[in-house]
This record gives sequence, C-alpha cells and structure tokens, in this order.
Amino acid sequence: MTLFRTHLYEEHVKLGGKIVPFAGWEMPVQYTSVKDEALAVRNNVGVFDVSHMGEFFVEGKDAEKFIDQLVTNDIQGAPMGKAVYSPLCRENGTVIDDLIVYKLAPNRVMICVNASNIDKDFNWMKSKHKGFDCTFTNKSDEYSLLALQGPKAFSVLSSLVKDLKDIEYYSVVESGNLILARTGYTGEDGFEIFGPHEAIKSLWQNFMEMKVVPCGLASRDVLRMEVCYPLYGHELNDELNPYDAGLGWTVKGSKPNFIGKDALASKTSKHKLVKLVLDKGIPREGYPVLNSKQEVIGVVASGTMSVVLNKGIALARIHVDKAPQDEVFLVDIRQKPYPAQLVKKPFVTGGHK
Amino acid sequence: MATNIPENLKYTKEHEWALVEGDTVTIGITDFAQSALGDIVFLEVPDVGSELKLGSTFGVVESIKSVSDLYSPVTGEVVSKNSDVEGSPEKINSDAYGAWLIKVKAKDLSELKNLMSAQQYQEFCNTSH
Repeated sequence: MTLFRTHLYEEHVKLGGKIVPFAGWEMPVQYTSVKDEALAVRNNVGVFDVSHMGEFFVEGKDAEKFIDQLVTNDIQGAPMGKAVYSPLCRENGTVIDDLIVYKLAPNRVMICVNASNIDKDFNWMKSKHKGFDCTFTNKSDEYSLLALQGPKAFSVLSSLVKDLKDIEYYSVVESGNLILARTGYTGEDGFEIFGPHEAIKSLWQNFMEMKVVPCGLASRDVLRMEVCYPLYGHELNDELNPYDAGLGWTVKGSKPNFIGKDALASKTSKHKLVKLVLDKGIPREGYPVLNSKQEVIGVVASGTMSVVLNKGIALARIHVDKAPQDEVFLVDIRQKPYPAQLVKKPFVTGGHK
Repeated sequence: MATNIPENLKYTKEHEWALVEGDTVTIGITDFAQSALGDIVFLEVPDVGSELKLGSTFGVVESIKSVSDLYSPVTGEVVSKNSDVEGSPEKINSDAYGAWLIKVKAKDLSELKNLMSAQQYQEFCNTSH
C-alpha cells in the first residue's frame, strides 16, 4: 500500500524528523526528543502537523439537524461558533469514531475525524444523509491542519494572524481562508488551524522562524494520555460504547433522537476505564491488569511514561463485574506484577482556558 | 547518521556492544541504539548470579514510547550490574559506551567470534538499519 504524505513532508525531513507509517500516512513521530517536545507544549509552545486528519463539510438548511441525528452530543443546542466533541455511534451504541463538530456559521458546519476512520465515517454518514436539505462533502484532500499548542500559542498566532480574536476554549472562528479553532489534544491552550495546503505550509515556516518547537506524534500521544483524552483504537473501538470509555457525558439522552439512543438509554457498559499510576515500571498497551489475588481483571488500553510525573501511567479497561472493592490494582509487566495506584483525576492538569 | 563506534569493542546485530577482558565480557547498548530509541527512561537487567545464554533476552530497555529486548552476546554468569545506570537510565543517552549494563563471566569465549568488528558494525548500521 502506498502511504500518503502531508504537504509538509519535506519540511519534516529537513528538520530531521523521524518518519513512521501511521494510519496510512508517513508522519513525523519525533524530531529531537519526545520529552523535550512534550515539555515544550506544557511550558512554552509546540506545533504538530496533523494534516492526515479528515475534514467533512455540511452546508445548507438542515446542516445541524443532519449532524445532530448522527452524533450523541448536542449540536443544535450549542451556541454558534462552538466546537462540540462527540462519539459517532451505530444503532447498537458501539462507537464508529470520535470527532469534533465545528459550528462555523448558520447552515455551515465542519467535522474533523480521525485519519484512520475517514472512509468508514464518510460512508456511514453518507448512508444517513438522504432526506436532509444540506450538502455533505469530504474535503480532507483540500485541507492541511496544524495544532499549535502551549501557553504561548495565542501570542505566537496573534503575531501572524491579524486581529486574532481571543475566543473561548472549544470555539472556532474563520479568518480569511483559515479556520481557527481553540481546540487541541494536549490539555493546553492552543489552536487547531485548518486551511489550504500552501497557506498552512507558510504558517508552518513562520512558526519555525519563531522557534516554535516542532512536535511529533509520539509527544502528542504522551500529552493526550497525561490529560486522559481517549484515542480511537485504544480507549474506543468498534466493539465499545461511549460508557465503556467514560464518555457518558457526551451522550445527551434529552435530545429527541439520534442513532444509538435506544441502545445507550440504559447507560450500561461492560467496562470502565480507570487511571493508574505506577511508581516503578511502565505500563504499555495490552498488558494485563490484575487484582490483589493476581487475577486478570482488565487490560491497559494506553500506557506510557509521563514526562511531567516521571512515572508510568495507564488508562486501563476493567471488566465492571471484576472491579476490585479494595481498589488494589497491579499491572503485569513481563510476567511480574507491579503495584499501580488508582487516581480519580487526570494525571496532569492542562493549562487550557 | 553519524555514530560513534569504538574500535576496541565487538557488536551484535541487536545493537549491543561487548568489551572483552580475559573471560569477563562487559555489555552495553551502542550509540546508534540509544539514538534510535530516544529518551531512555527504564532499564531492567538481571541480578548478579543469573545465568545468561547466547542470543537469549536478558533484560529490557525502554524509551518513553518503546520497549526493546536486550540480547546476550555470550553464555555465562552475571558477575556485576551497573546499579548506577539502572537508577538513572538516561545516562545511556549521554554516554552509551560509558554506561555499561552488566558484566558476564563467559563460559566459552569462542562464542564471541560471531560478533561484528567496529568496521563490520558500521557497515551493518549503514545498510540494514
């Protein structure tokens, strides 16, 4: 299979980025050091090329109505200019993808989806499009996407974008041919900037001149785990429902109707996602999670070394009926049980507004 | 990639280096390996007295995002381990050849004939990995 390259591929190579295959794309996984890149985002500012992600546009009178019946979260009820995170579910409640819906203008909505799910999502949504008075278009090939993240993101971007509005977290504004969203996947303040390839390429070059740290997908994954954001294929997949991943808050049973509403009405799940911290050992995806009797009760969905805590962290999927009353958890690392502490709050508190 | 490959060491295809002094073999990972791994954050090596077999895994080295097995270049008994590096594995990033991992008393020194010289290892790095 031929791998796709973003329009910034040559820039990544020039910067010494280590390129790996990811979701059908050749993407930079790191430039210098995963730790330095992640800490640049936490303390200063970094930028990610995430042009592999998909952009769909819905335009017309029924734009919001069309999306609202597809996703679990409330789109029509959200104010204009807001971004709304939501799972996209099947009738049986299982998750096709998680995505962000951007309310750009009346009758004009953009949806950003995971790169690996672009075709699956588009085909599903297209199959539900009949009868709605709106267009539904996959413009993933026309858009590049940068995520500028970190406490200094606003000041960096405002020096390049004239009259940049200090919009709220999880909202969006259009500026010329750019779509500027105050979203991200790191827990920090920042912008996701959608635009035509050449415009995004020159923005990237501006960022490099301003010494913004280029960051690869490895640091992005560490950053999202530290603030406990789910990643499709790990915390979410085709067999799980939103409740399995702790996303009950995105299921709006008060909406008149959406696909999966009946199946999700009971709010039941077979799993719960727990947050574990290890003083010693690094949990990795697929490692078994054990109770105090060393019986398997679940599995690590995502795990890494946290660069902020300097400890191993895991998001682990536990069978609801095996969740230990004593809250004693162990992670089986290479056939050795390592004690893990259950925490209720995200491992790291991001600085987003 | 510019890498540092000392002449006095021998090398495995799994990117370990071996310093042979009498029947004692000091083992570490190469500069090429530490550079490919990135920030090393965890190291697990066997205790003194453990028996190692040629080509078998004897421990792991982990970066933030990856886990890599360590392979023994020789059969023998672990006579020393570098607790300093075990406690501060980032030292492998700053000095791959100073930050040795274990010392093994080799059973059969003829096993070491299969290891690569510095020149062979340089070619190996250039071509295959």
